Amino acid sequence: MKGDRLGLSMILASAIVIFIAFGIQTTHHIKTEVSHLRREAVSLSRSLSRTPYDQLVSHTKGNSVSSILMHGLDNSAFVYVSIVDPYGKPLMELSRPGISIPAVAPKALTSWFEERNLQLDELGDEIIEFNTPLINRGQVVGQIRLGYVKPAFTFNASDIPFFATIALAIFLLTPFFYLVVKREIRPLRKASDQMDKLIAQDTLSRIDISTSGELEEFMRHFSQYVDKALDRVQQLEGELTERETSGKLLSYKRMRIESVIQSLPDAVMVLDETGNVCFANIRFSTLLGVPVKDVMEKRIAEWCANQEMAAYLTDCSRRAGRNVSTNIREFTLGVSPKKDIAVMPCPLFSPRDPSHVLGTLVLIRDVTAQNLAKEGGGAFIAQVAHELKSPLNVISMYCETLQGGGDMTEAFFVEAANVIKDETERMTMLINNTLNLTKIEMGSININRSRVKLKDLLQDAFDTCERSDQAGDLEFKLDLPAEIGPVAVDKELMRIAINNLLTNAVKYSNQGGVISLSAEETDSSVRISVKDTGIGIDSGEVERIFEKFYRSDSSEVRKRVGHGMGLALAREIVQLHQGVLSVTSIPGKGSVFTIEFNKEADLLKLAG
Amino acid sequence: MNRVLIVDDEPHVIRVLNLALSRTGVAVDVAYNGINALEYLQTHQPDAVITDIDMPRMDGKTLCNRICDMYPDREFPIFIMTARAELEHRDWARNIPNLTFMEKPLSIRKLIKALSEHFPANSEH
Repeated sequence: MKGDRLGLSMILASAIVIFIAFGIQTTHHIKTEVSHLRREAVSLSRSLSRTPYDQLVSHTKGNSVSSILMHGLDNSAFVYVSIVDPYGKPLMELSRPGISIPAVAPKALTSWFEERNLQLDELGDEIIEFNTPLINRGQVVGQIRLGYVKPAFTFNASDIPFFATIALAIFLLTPFFYLVVKREIRPLRKASDQMDKLIAQDTLSRIDISTSGELEEFMRHFSQYVDKALDRVQQLEGELTERETSGKLLSYKRMRIESVIQSLPDAVMVLDETGNVCFANIRFSTLLGVPVKDVMEKRIAEWCANQEMAAYLTDCSRRAGRNVSTNIREFTLGVSPKKDIAVMPCPLFSPRDPSHVLGTLVLIRDVTAQNLAKEGGGAFIAQVAHELKSPLNVISMYCETLQGGGDMTEAFFVEAANVIKDETERMTMLINNTLNLTKIEMGSININRSRVKLKDLLQDAFDTCERSDQAGDLEFKLDLPAEIGPVAVDKELMRIAINNLLTNAVKYSNQGGVISLSAEETDSSVRISVKDTGIGIDSGEVERIFEKFYRSDSSEVRKRVGHGMGLALAREIVQLHQGVLSVTSIPGKGSVFTIEFNKEADLLKLAG
Repeated sequence: MNRVLIVDDEPHVIRVLNLALSRTGVAVDVAYNGINALEYLQTHQPDAVITDIDMPRMDGKTLCNRICDMYPDREFPIFIMTARAELEHRDWARNIPNLTFMEKPLSIRKLIKALSEHFPANSEH
C-alpha cells in the first residue's frame, strides 16, 4: 500500500516536472518573442525618429516612409503604427486591414522607450504597444505608437520531439528512482515491521537490521538511542522494583508494628500534648468497655467513668516530662463483675529532642485475675492451715486430756491412741495431697509415663484398700478382664488417683457396704470404675465435689473425716493423662467414679 | 450445776470436751451444728455456749448472731473456737457482747479456766 503510494507520488511528481518544464519552455518562448518584438520596435522606432517630421506626417498614402516600413516589415505580429501629437490626436496612422487602433491617451513617458499592454476591441486580443517620443527640432511634438500582437502560447508541432524526449527520460527515470528509493528504504521497512511486532508484543528491544551508508549511521544512532532508552527503562524498572520492595517492606513493618500493638494483651492509649486521646488499641475498648472511636480526640474526663482514674491520667498528662516516674496505680472498674486494672503512664519523649515531650503513653493491664489469684493463693493457704489445725486440735485436746491424768479408763487410752493415729494419718494425707495438687497446678510435676501393667496396678491398689484399717466389714469386689494391654501412665500418680477414689468409697460407705473396682478395655481406651453402695452425692453437688476443699454440708459427710482434697487431686491427675474423671451417683444408694483415658494416644505419646 | 452447750461437727472434739468438762462438774449438752443448737436453745437456756466457728449447715458466727436475736439481754457467755486468726473476725465480734475467742488447737485448761471465771460458784470442781 505504502509502495503504491510511493509509485503514484513519483508518477505525479513526474507529471508535475513535465508540466513545469513545459511551462518554463513556453514562458521562455513568450519572453523570447517579446524581446524579439522589443528589439524590432526599438529599431523601427529609431528609423522613424530619424525620418523627417514632414515625411512622417505626410498624408500621402503609399509614399510615406511609414508606408514603406509597413510593407517592409515581414512580421505578422505587427498590427499598427500611429503617430500622435502630444494630445493624442493621430497625425498619421497605419494598420493591418480590419484593425482599428485603440483610441487611448498617449502614455506619459519618462524615458525614450516604453511599453504598455492594451486590448484590441474587435479581436479582444492583447497587444503590446511600444511608445517613443517624436522629436522635431529638439521639441517633443508627439509620440510614435507601435502595436504588436502580444505573443501567446502556441503549440508548435516542432516542440513535440523535445517534450517527448523529456517525458521519456522522466518516465524512464521515475521507476529507476522508485526502485532505488525502494531499495534504500527497504531496511527502514524491515525496521518498521520489527517495531510493529515489538509494539504488538508490548516490549522494548534493539532493532536488528543490516544497512549501509547513511542509513547505517542513522540505524547505529537509532540503536544507540534505543539502547540508552532500554538502559533507562531498566534503571527505572529497577528503581520502581526497589521502591515497591521498600514500600512493601515499610508497609509490612508498619503492619507488623500495628499488629504487635493491637495484639498486646494490655490496652495501649496515647495522649497528645494537649491531653486528648490520639491512639488506642483494640484491647483498650474490650478492657475499658469504651469503643475506640468514642475516645479519639477527646479528653479523658469526657469518656472515663472512673473519676479517680480520669483525674490521675489528666494529672499525669499535664505533668508529663516534668515527672518521669512511672507510678502504677490500680483502679477498680464496674461492680459486678468488677474489673481491676493497673494503669501505667509513661511520657513519650521526642527521639530527636529528649527535652520535648510528645505526649503520654498509657498502658492499662487487667489485673483482675492476678488479684484473684493472689486472693485465691491466700485463701488456699488459709484453708490448708485451717484443715491442718482441725486434726491438730483433736490431737492436742486428747494429749492434754491424757496429760491431765486422773481416773482415765484404759478404754480412753486406746481411744486416744487410735484418734491420734487417725488424725496424724489425716494430716499426712492432707499434706501429701496438698503438695501433689500444688505441684500439678504449678506445672512443676513432670508426668513420668511408662508402660504400666494396669491390671497389677489396680490389683495393688485394691489389696491395699481391702487390708486398710478403715475397710472394716465392707465387702470388696474386683472385676478385671483376663488381660489388659499395657498403658502409658505415670504409675505413682495414677496409683494416688485410684487410691483416693477407693479411700473415698470406703469413707462414704455404710456398714456392710460393697465396693467394686472394675476395668474395661476397648480398642482405644481404658475405663476404670470405682463403685460403692454408700451415701451417694446430691445432684446439686456432683460437680462441686471436685473443687478443692469442697465438702458437703450434709451431716453424713461431715461425720466422716475428710478435707476436700482427694477428688480435686484425682481429677487433676486424670486430666494430666488427658483423661476424664466423671461421677454418677444416686443419693443414699451409692456412687460410681469412672476414670477414662485414651490408651492409643498415650502409647503414641510414649513412643514419640 | 452449770450447764454448757457444746456445738461442733467434730465428734472427737465433743468427746474430749465432754469428758473434760464433765469431770469439772459441768453438765454438757451437745449439738453437731448451728441448727441443732438453735433447736436446743428454743427449749433450754445454758449457762455457757462453746461453739466451733466452721460448721456445716450453719456456722458458728451465724449461730452467735441468732443467739443474740433470741436472747437480747443474754447473760451467759459464748466461747467460739476458731482455727483461723481472730483478727479476721474482729469486726464481726465487736457487735457480739460476752464473746470469747478460743484459738485452736484448743487448750482445755484455758477453756475450763475461762468458764470457771463465769461460774465462780462451781469452780471448786
